[in-house]
Amino acid sequence: MSNTFEPEIVAFCCHYCAYTAADMAGSKRLSYPPNVKIIRVPCTGKVDAIHIMKAFQKGADGVYVAGCLEGDCHFKNGNLRAARRVQRVQALLDEIGIDSRRVEMITMSAGMGERFAKTAREFTEKIRELGPGPVKAAERDFGLSAAG
Amino acid sequence: MITAVRKPMEEIIACVSPYDRILLAGCNECVSVCSVGGRKEVSLLSSALQMHFLKQGKTLEIQEVTLERQCDPEYVEELVNSVDSADAVLSMACGCGVQTVAARFREKPVFPAVNTAFMGASERQGVWSERCQGCGDCVLGITGGICPIARCSKRLMNGPCGGSTKGKCEIDTDIDCAWQLIWDRLKALGLENRIEEIMEAKDWRTSRDGGPRKIVREDLAS
Amino acid sequence: MKEYSDIEAKQSGNRAVLVIGGGMGGIRAALDLAESRRDVVLIDKSYSIGGLMTRLDRTFPTNNCDLCTISPHLSESGRQLLIDLKPMTEVEKVEGEAGDFRVTIKTKPRYIDVEKCTACGECVEKFPDWVHFTPGLDPRAPTCMRYPQATPYAFSVDAEKVTDFKALQEVCRAGAIVPEDRERTETLSFASIVLATGAELFDPSVLDNFGGGKYDNVVTGLEYERIMSASGPTQGWLERPSDRKRPSRVAWIQCVGSRGINSADVPYCSGVCCMYALKEAIVTRERFAEDIETSIFYMDMRTCGKDYELYLNSAVDDYGVRLIRCRPHSVVEDPETGNLSITYATDEESCHKIEVFDMVVLSTGFRVDEQVLELAGRLGIDLDEHGFAQTENFKPVATSRPGIYACGVCESPKDIPETMIQASAAAAEAGIQTPPAPQEQEEEFFPPEKDISGEPLRVGVFVCDCGANIGGVIEVDELVRNTGGLAGVELAEAVGYGCSSESINRMEQLITAKGLNRVVIGGCSPRTHETKFQDMMRRCGLNKYLVEIVNLRDQDTWPHMDQPEDAQEKAFRLMEMGISGISKARPLTENTLPINQNVLVVGGGVAGMNSALLLADQGFRVYLVEREKELGGLARNIRTTLEGEHVGAYISDLIEKVNSHNRIQVMTRTIIVDHKGRPGRYTTGIQTGRGMHYMQIEHGVAIMATGALANRPSQYLLGKHDKVMTQMDLDVKIEDDPQSVRDMDQVVMIQCVGSREPGNPNCSRICCQSAVKNALRLKDANSEMQIFVLYRDIRTYGLYEDYYREARRRGVRFIRYEPEKRPEVRDAGEGLEVGVYDPILGLPLEISADAVILSTGFAADDETTEDLSMMFHLTRSDDGSFLEDHVKLRPSDMSVPGFFVAGTAHSPKSIRESITQAQAAAGRARSLLARQVINLGAAVAKVDGAKCAACLICVRVCPFNVPFINADGYSEIDPALCHGCGTCAAECPARAIQLMRYEDDQILAKLEGLFERMN
Repeated sequence: MSNTFEPEIVAFCCHYCAYTAADMAGSKRLSYPPNVKIIRVPCTGKVDAIHIMKAFQKGADGVYVAGCLEGDCHFKNGNLRAARRVQRVQALLDEIGIDSRRVEMITMSAGMGERFAKTAREFTEKIRELGPGPVKAAERDFGLSAAG
Repeated sequence: MITAVRKPMEEIIACVSPYDRILLAGCNECVSVCSVGGRKEVSLLSSALQMHFLKQGKTLEIQEVTLERQCDPEYVEELVNSVDSADAVLSMACGCGVQTVAARFREKPVFPAVNTAFMGASERQGVWSERCQGCGDCVLGITGGICPIARCSKRLMNGPCGGSTKGKCEIDTDIDCAWQLIWDRLKALGLENRIEEIMEAKDWRTSRDGGPRKIVREDLAS
Repeated sequence: MKEYSDIEAKQSGNRAVLVIGGGMGGIRAALDLAESRRDVVLIDKSYSIGGLMTRLDRTFPTNNCDLCTISPHLSESGRQLLIDLKPMTEVEKVEGEAGDFRVTIKTKPRYIDVEKCTACGECVEKFPDWVHFTPGLDPRAPTCMRYPQATPYAFSVDAEKVTDFKALQEVCRAGAIVPEDRERTETLSFASIVLATGAELFDPSVLDNFGGGKYDNVVTGLEYERIMSASGPTQGWLERPSDRKRPSRVAWIQCVGSRGINSADVPYCSGVCCMYALKEAIVTRERFAEDIETSIFYMDMRTCGKDYELYLNSAVDDYGVRLIRCRPHSVVEDPETGNLSITYATDEESCHKIEVFDMVVLSTGFRVDEQVLELAGRLGIDLDEHGFAQTENFKPVATSRPGIYACGVCESPKDIPETMIQASAAAAEAGIQTPPAPQEQEEEFFPPEKDISGEPLRVGVFVCDCGANIGGVIEVDELVRNTGGLAGVELAEAVGYGCSSESINRMEQLITAKGLNRVVIGGCSPRTHETKFQDMMRRCGLNKYLVEIVNLRDQDTWPHMDQPEDAQEKAFRLMEMGISGISKARPLTENTLPINQNVLVVGGGVAGMNSALLLADQGFRVYLVEREKELGGLARNIRTTLEGEHVGAYISDLIEKVNSHNRIQVMTRTIIVDHKGRPGRYTTGIQTGRGMHYMQIEHGVAIMATGALANRPSQYLLGKHDKVMTQMDLDVKIEDDPQSVRDMDQVVMIQCVGSREPGNPNCSRICCQSAVKNALRLKDANSEMQIFVLYRDIRTYGLYEDYYREARRRGVRFIRYEPEKRPEVRDAGEGLEVGVYDPILGLPLEISADAVILSTGFAADDETTEDLSMMFHLTRSDDGSFLEDHVKLRPSDMSVPGFFVAGTAHSPKSIRESITQAQAAAGRARSLLARQVINLGAAVAKVDGAKCAACLICVRVCPFNVPFINADGYSEIDPALCHGCGTCAAECPARAIQLMRYEDDQILAKLEGLFERMN
């Protein structure tokens, strides 16, 4: 089963660094798994804990938030706030029995196309090993679909 | 402000697991301000619970409603329509809110999702400290604006005790010694003498020791 | 590309300005001019703009990524309607005079139509030798990806190498290859010219002792930047060239080729190398490994810019960077290991030492470009002895030919913030000769916006194939078919190259014909093309925020080109996400405010008066407020400059001009007492005159030119002995009491008194030049006089080095002291005794002195800046001076829109530098005023008052301190101040805040779209 499992991954990327790094990866033709789908935000400081939770609830198997390197945030400290929120979601996931490794905070600069591709590969691989997320697992085990 | 912390998920899960339809009620007053029971937390808890039960093969229906204030019956009245289609109510308000809801909807089980903690003040973003224990007979006027009941670990009325070291409390060195603070403040006010005055034994009848309290304002009450 | 013909220029009344050079200085000048509604032609001999800065890694003091800071500027530059960008272009000839120059320029053929080129990269893929990969490869450093946002975003063809143009044309599906492109020469009219050609960096291979160009592991500072850079040849891994191993000991050698007297050297100081060496050393330890030893060999540490001294202290104290004061003798390579031995001697020991390093970085400075020398000839401007454009202290950006202005390194060595200040100053001056262009050309261009509220959703989906870039990986037709069936989609079509004008016309017709009210484009990155499609929407009468660009190319077909099936699937999912998201989008209004056209200048010193005059001359009403009873400020106490100009006459003239100007209202004995308003419309209350009469000034901009205080610490008997005085006292004495000066036999000067020490840790910047100036004047008065200058580092940066050398030549003695072993000044009745330890002799010296002159420099006017910063909500540096908005790129702008800073209120400065910044601040103010309205964008946070719990969380988390709890008891966010990061929205516990454009429902809709078929 897990051999054929293709995870669905949502990446919230800030406009100034991670989204640009993703474009950079593209223009350098660096391959990374197509499982990663990017949602652009002005700053990772905008990524609400509820957005991450809803992503899981809608069917994501893994979510990561990608912002600027520490000290490089276009809005001073949005990336640091995002990192703390990610920690909070991790704790909440643990409490409800979902592996907290399914969510992660990653930082990179706009020029780091290589890093974008590498982290996308690594994260996808990790989620592949962790298996289907809550919604897909319920679908598989009980034929249920998500609410909300 | 009343502060609170969310209960462990395990406990909340145990409360709601017998039911299929939950009304999750937040409060836009104190618990919003301390980021524990406002619209955002309601939404997060709802999401977490649904995912948890989905993993167990159960679809939990949750209605999210956040009231302006759960400790006022008029606001609680707004739940009338939603409550019918719920098997139980999970409240994210403080104990006052939970009880107001429970009193209004006697036929429904009502569960708290937060542990009400204390009456406190914000120190800075994300940090709250206890400041008042509602003793009913305020002494702040003579203790330089620092409450020995709420802030001295031993509730000493004539402190400090021998455990005060470098301004910290012997119970926990992260806690400031309230009596050191009182001394510093009195000194700054030029009222050092006051520390010498012995405070007599406090009359605790105004506090919880006199049973549940009630305030009736004749001029306002109808 | 906009063709700018001779005739057009004449019709427009010659309002165009030619900017030569597309580096940071040229871009800043062009942007400033365009913002103040002047037509600009920006030419550069290279095929894309950006200059030297695009090759740097991180810039001090924030050590942040240049790509992040520079890219908005470059795309901004490309987008400006009034800037005509001509890369690969050089000046042939300049005729005429200020106000009416006729300039002949020559543009080399690019063989590519920039308008059609989509930068797909097909051509370079097939024929890598024929095409310059402009958005990236710098041909001079073939492995270096410059930066992905290169402007213009297009390629160029190397025609000499092309053997088959037909084959090249066939590859280009955009039809952008133009084999018949020829070199073009045109003659254009300009009112004025800004020269911003920069300089070259010294090539150390001409030196025979440091191994530059000879040993693999000896690199220049710039090469080291490339090695550290994330976009560099090693992708940001620090490794040495010879064996690609991480170095564990790196040494920097300063002043390589600068401050020298040998044949390959230049005598001047390059002014930037100390800071970049420190930066490189810090970044090495911070980013790579703390165990890498970093050593800098230097002569004088010249960290005399704003807060640079703090950076130096932090390098030593926090990062453990080792500083060795000496000029090394040689670098020798061990051919076995590639390691490098540096032979050197220090003051303390009288023998040679040899130390081995893994890598040596040569801090090379600026060299005047040969081509610029020729260009100066064609422009007919004078150069100084070193080849820099000649300017005057009181006219710091004007060249010898009226109407031609110079800025940046082609004027003298300088760093980025100084270049930015000078560029703004040059733009301010160049703009005086030209009237602004007519208002609001842009607005007339677009029809009024249609009200789509209440309309059912009618989404138009357009998918680009971008040649093979998208079309070669996925089936565009299949994607169109599949998306066509989605809810809300009225129409789906393939559009080939969506960004071509044909396709855009076609889409506009369809949008109008089908009454579409939302559009999704499946194409390339919104970072590069969003504006283009937003303009398309506006032409159709639709709000620009009703279009979503789905990044199929950069984030799907490019990275997944080897998995076409997966790419097809992902493309569909991304489109679903885009369609679902745009369905929730609302038309947004960009917040605009009309700007009051009056100017408030606070401070009537040299800086304030210059700003006031420049703006008043251009027709603005200026209120000049001065606390003292007379104008002039500190400069009233200065007699001459280092170069010998008479300051007194200049100041009197300036005061006269300001006082007699009919658009300047001068108010002396005036203090500011209150302030309110919002960007563009401020009201400031003042109390003025003897009676402290209260009045209010309405203004749109304000320039803070409150100056600094002349420092007078009570050290070394200052104020206790009448023969101890400051450099400023001496300056006056030389002028007013020449006889007493002539009678002096021995004079001691002590540097860094009250600066570079706890309490005032920064360098006062001007004291070294003042000491050299006064030492030379004393020598003029009495050539027999013995002058001792006791110093810590001599900081005669840039061209001031010439005067330092001159002082040494004339016998002024410079003795270094360490702060731990300060000189002692003792009262000896009539005269004084000075004791100092000479590190070269290794002995204490006793010098009797007729006078002791203390270089006391500046102290920030802490009280004034504190009051004003509270009143105006401005930010301050730790030392109490005003803080600029961006230390590198916006050195004269402040964080509150419409506020600018000039002169010593910003940081210690010479008169020349104060004048430059005054002009810059005035120019920046003019740019803002020229817009008439402020556009504040639409992506701002909005509070729903009914939901707000007034919890203060937004107030506390906002990085820009914008939200406040209003009189109605809920949070209010001024759209004029909101930066749009969304942090408050994500933290609000009551979910009462939404960031426009990124509302929760839009993000949730995207997630729903993405997972549509699963639910």
